[in-house]
Amino acid sequence: MRARYTWRAFSRELIFLALAAFFCIPFYLLFSIALKPNSELFTSPLSFPTSPDLGNFSEAWKGQAGVGLGRAMFNSLVITVFTVAILILIGSLCAYALARRPSRLSNALYFMFVLGIIIPFQLGIVPLYVLFRKIDLIGSYLGMITLWVGVSLPVTVFLYTGFIRALPRDYEEAAQVDGAGVLRTYLRVVFPLLRPVTGTVAILTGLFVWNDFFISLIFVSGSDRVTLPVAVYAFVGEYFTQYNLVFAAVTIALLPIMIFFVFAQRQLIRGFTSGVRG
Amino acid sequence: MASITFESVGKVYPDGTRAVDSLDLEVGDGEFMVLVGPSGCGKTTALRMVAGLEDITEGEVRIGETVANALDPSRRDVAMVFQNYALYPHMSVFDNIAFPLRCRRLARTEIRERVEKTAGVLGLSEYLRRKPGALSGGQRQRVAMGRAIVREPQAFLMDEPLSNLDAKLRVQMRAEISSLQRELGVTTIYVTHDQVEAMTMGTRIAVMRKGVLQQEGPPQELYDQPANLFVATFMGSPGMNLFRARIVESNGALHCAVGDQQLDVAGRSLDACRGREIAVGIRPEDLSAQVEEGQPALETTVVLTETLGAERLLHVGLQAEPVVTDDVLEIAKDIDATVASDLEHESHHVTLVARVDASFGPTPGAKVSLGIKPQKLHFFDLETGSVIR
Amino acid sequence: MSGSLTSEKAPLPRPEGRRRLFSRSRVRRRGVRQVPWLLVVPAVVAVLLLRYGATVLGGLYAFTDWNGLGLYPNWIGFDNFRAMFKDEATSGALWHTLQLATMFVVLVNLTGLALALGLRSTLKTRNLLRAIFFLPVVLSELATAYIWQYIFLYDGPLNLFLGFVGLDEWKRAWTADPTWALYTILFVLIWQLSGLTMIIYLAGLQSIPEELEQAAAVDGASAWMRFRRITLPLLAPAITVSVTLTMIFGLRVFDQVIALTGGGPVSSTETLATQVYKQTFVFTRFGYGAAVALFLTVLVAAITLVQAAALRSREYRV
Repeated sequence: MRARYTWRAFSRELIFLALAAFFCIPFYLLFSIALKPNSELFTSPLSFPTSPDLGNFSEAWKGQAGVGLGRAMFNSLVITVFTVAILILIGSLCAYALARRPSRLSNALYFMFVLGIIIPFQLGIVPLYVLFRKIDLIGSYLGMITLWVGVSLPVTVFLYTGFIRALPRDYEEAAQVDGAGVLRTYLRVVFPLLRPVTGTVAILTGLFVWNDFFISLIFVSGSDRVTLPVAVYAFVGEYFTQYNLVFAAVTIALLPIMIFFVFAQRQLIRGFTSGVRG
Repeated sequence: MASITFESVGKVYPDGTRAVDSLDLEVGDGEFMVLVGPSGCGKTTALRMVAGLEDITEGEVRIGETVANALDPSRRDVAMVFQNYALYPHMSVFDNIAFPLRCRRLARTEIRERVEKTAGVLGLSEYLRRKPGALSGGQRQRVAMGRAIVREPQAFLMDEPLSNLDAKLRVQMRAEISSLQRELGVTTIYVTHDQVEAMTMGTRIAVMRKGVLQQEGPPQELYDQPANLFVATFMGSPGMNLFRARIVESNGALHCAVGDQQLDVAGRSLDACRGREIAVGIRPEDLSAQVEEGQPALETTVVLTETLGAERLLHVGLQAEPVVTDDVLEIAKDIDATVASDLEHESHHVTLVARVDASFGPTPGAKVSLGIKPQKLHFFDLETGSVIR
Repeated sequence: MSGSLTSEKAPLPRPEGRRRLFSRSRVRRRGVRQVPWLLVVPAVVAVLLLRYGATVLGGLYAFTDWNGLGLYPNWIGFDNFRAMFKDEATSGALWHTLQLATMFVVLVNLTGLALALGLRSTLKTRNLLRAIFFLPVVLSELATAYIWQYIFLYDGPLNLFLGFVGLDEWKRAWTADPTWALYTILFVLIWQLSGLTMIIYLAGLQSIPEELEQAAAVDGASAWMRFRRITLPLLAPAITVSVTLTMIFGLRVFDQVIALTGGGPVSSTETLATQVYKQTFVFTRFGYGAAVALFLTVLVAAITLVQAAALRSREYRV
C-alpha cells in the first residue's frame, strides 16, 4: 500500500509536470512578451525574445496620466501595511476579550463578526462612497485604510477568536500570578503566542488589500493615490494595443508578490491553509 | 483458516533502516502467536507485512499455501485490529462491522444476520446505531474486534489492541480476546510490547529485538529456559536477577565466585567455562528465605521490602559485579532511564529481588541468607549473551 | 505588582466584618481578573458603522431613485427591482452570475480535489508542483486576467496553436464571441483558484488518519471503494469549506470580467458585481446600483447559508 516509487508513480509525476507546465504558459508569455520590442511582437509572438529589451519596462514604469507605477506601488504598500497593522491591533484585542469573556454578549458579537464575513461588501460601498465624497476622503490613504479595516475586520476577529479560544489560559494566569497587569499580560504573553494566527491574518488580509481592484477602482481611480491594479487598469486602457507595454506593466504589478512567493511560499500556503480551516 | 509462514523475511526502509532481519517463523493453523519485544524491535513491521501494509523487501510471507508478497491487502483475506482501532468515524457501529462484508458484496440479509450475530457475541447489540465517537474505549475495542471476526477470515492480525485501555479493562479484554480466539480457532498473530500480555495470551511467543527473532516457544518454555540474556531479562516481572561470577575450582569441584562468596553449583556442567567470567541469573521466586542444610546460599543485606499481601518482595544488596551488556541496558532503558544509568555507574554491588512468603519480614539493614537450587540458576556467556547449558 | 494590589484594596471604606459577610462571591470575582470589555469597542464600532450601518443604508438606497446629486432622493418602493428584471443587462447579469458561479464551484472543486489526490503522496516534485498550482491564487486577479485576454485574442497564442495543429475552423475571437466569452471567464477563474481548493483538500486529506484507509484495505475494499466510502465522506468538512468559499468567490466575480470582456459582447458576460459598479459609478444611478447590490447580497447570503447548512449536515461528528 505505502507504495514505493514505481513506474506508475513516475508516469503520474510526468502527467502532473505537464499540467504544471500548462499552468505556467501565461507566465512564460508574460515575461517573453514584456521583453520584446515592437518589431518582434507581431512577427514571432510565441518565441522567446531574440534581443531582450528592457525599454518596455522603463516606458511602463512611467505609468499613465502622470502617476507612475512606482508611485502606485508605494500607494498600495502604504494602504496595505497600515490596514494590516490596524487590523492586527484592534482585531486581536477584540478577539482576546471575546474569547476570554464567554457570555451571551460575546457570543452575539462573535456572530455579528461571522455574519460580516458572508455579507458582500458591495452594498455598503455605495453609501460609503457618498459619505466619503462629502467629507473629502475619496482618493486619500485615510479613506482607503478606513474602508479596508471595515471590510477585513470580521475575518480578522473570526480567525483570532478561534485561535485564542484554543489557547490554554495557563500562560495568562501565570503572568497574572507573576504580577503583570492586563496590558502587560497581553503585550508580553498573549500577543507573542498569537504569532501563527497573526501571520495568517497578515497574509490573507494583506494579499486581499494589495490585489483588490473593485474598491480601489471606485475610491482612488483618477487621483494620485491609485493602487497598483488600478494603475495597471488605467495603463491598459491607454495602451491596449501594445501588448509588450501592457505586459511590462503587468509584470511590474505582479513581481513584488511573485518574489515574495518564491521566498515565503511555505509560510504563504500554511497561512492560507490555516486561514480557510478556521 | 490457514497457517502463516515467514521465510527469511527482511524489511529495509527506503532510508536504509533495517526493521526486520531474515525472520523465519511458522504460525500453525489456529495458533495464537504473540510477537513481543521492546519498541522498535520490528514486531509491528512484521505484522504489517502479513497484512500487506508494508512491502516485503526480502524473503516471502505465505498465508496457507499462497505466497502473499505481491497480493493487495484486500485480497489476502486477513483481518486486522489496529492499535487505535481505526473505526470509521462517519459510520455507525453496524456499518463499521458490515463494511468488510459489503466489500465482499454479500447479500443484504446475510450481512444483517452476521453483523447482528457478531454484535451479540461481543455484547454490542444495543449500540449498533451509535457512531464510534459515542462509545467508550472498551466498546470501541469490541467494535474493532467485531469488524475482524464478522468476516471469518484466514487469520487475525492484532497490533497492540489493548494499549489504549486502562489497566483494569485491559485485563478483562485480555481474557475475552483469548477465549474468543479459542472458540473461533482462527490463526492469530498478536503484537505487544507487554510481556505479561504475551505470557497470558499466547499459545506460543516469539521474542524479537532489533529486527531479529530471539527465541520462540510456549510461554513457560521461554520463562524457564530463556535462550539468551535478552529473553531472560525481558520475560518475567520483576525481572530475572543478574550478576557476574567467575567459575573457579576449589576442593575439586566447580564453584561460582560471586564477590567474595563461593557458590556451590554441583550438578551443573560448567567445565567449558572454567576460569571465565559469566553472567548468572536467578528468578526472584528461586531465592528462598529458608536455607536447608547444605544448600548453597547467598549472603545479602536487606535494602527495602515491599508487601504484596500474600507475598513479599525483598530488595537485597549483594557484593558482586553487575551485568552490563547491551541487551540488559536496552531493557532497563525501556523500563526507566535512570535504572539504566545506575547500572552503568554502579559497581561491586548488585540489587537482587527475592519473592518470599509474606511472613518473612526482615528490617532494612538486616543480613539474610537466601537459599538457591543450582539447577534453577541460568548461566549466560557475557560476550554473546547466549545461554550456557 | 503594586498596581494590582492597591486596586484590590481601594474600594473598601466598609467595616471588615460586613464586607466579608455579604460579598464573599464578590471578593472572589475580584480575585479572578477579567479581560476588560473595553477592548472590543474599536472593532465593534468599526464593523457596526462600516459594515452593518453602510449595508443597511445601502439597502435603503435600493428603494430610491437617487442619482448621486440631489439632496432628497424619492422613495420609489420596488420600482428598481422591477426595472432590474426588465433591463436586459441586469437580468442577464443575474443569469450569468448564477451560471458562472455554479459551473465554477463544481469544476474548481473537482480540479482542486484531483490535484490534491495526485499530490498527496510519493511524487518527488510534489512541493514544486504544489507551489506552481498555488501561485495564481496570490496574484492580482486583474493583472493575470490581462495575460489571458491576450491569449484569447483572435491573433493570439491560442488560435495560433489551433492553426498549428490544423484546427483552423475552431479559431475565433474567444472573448468577443457571445457563446464563448463566459467560458473564457470560467476558465480563467478555474486556473486562478484551483490552487486554493487544492490546499483545502490537501489539508483535509492530511487530517484523515492513515489507518482508516489501511483498515479498509485489509477489510477488502478496492481502491475505488476506499475513496468512495472512506476518504470522500471524511473529506466532508473540507468540502463544506471549499464549496462555500468558492461559491462566494463565484458570485462576486468582477476583475476577470473587466479585464477579459468588460461585460461584453452585448452584455453577454455582465455579472451582478460589474452591474453594481457600472450602474452606480459609471451611470450614477445610485438607487438602481444599490438595488442590484442588495440583490447580490441577499443572493450570496441565502445561497451560502443554505449550502453550508446542507453540507454540514452531511459531516460526521466525532
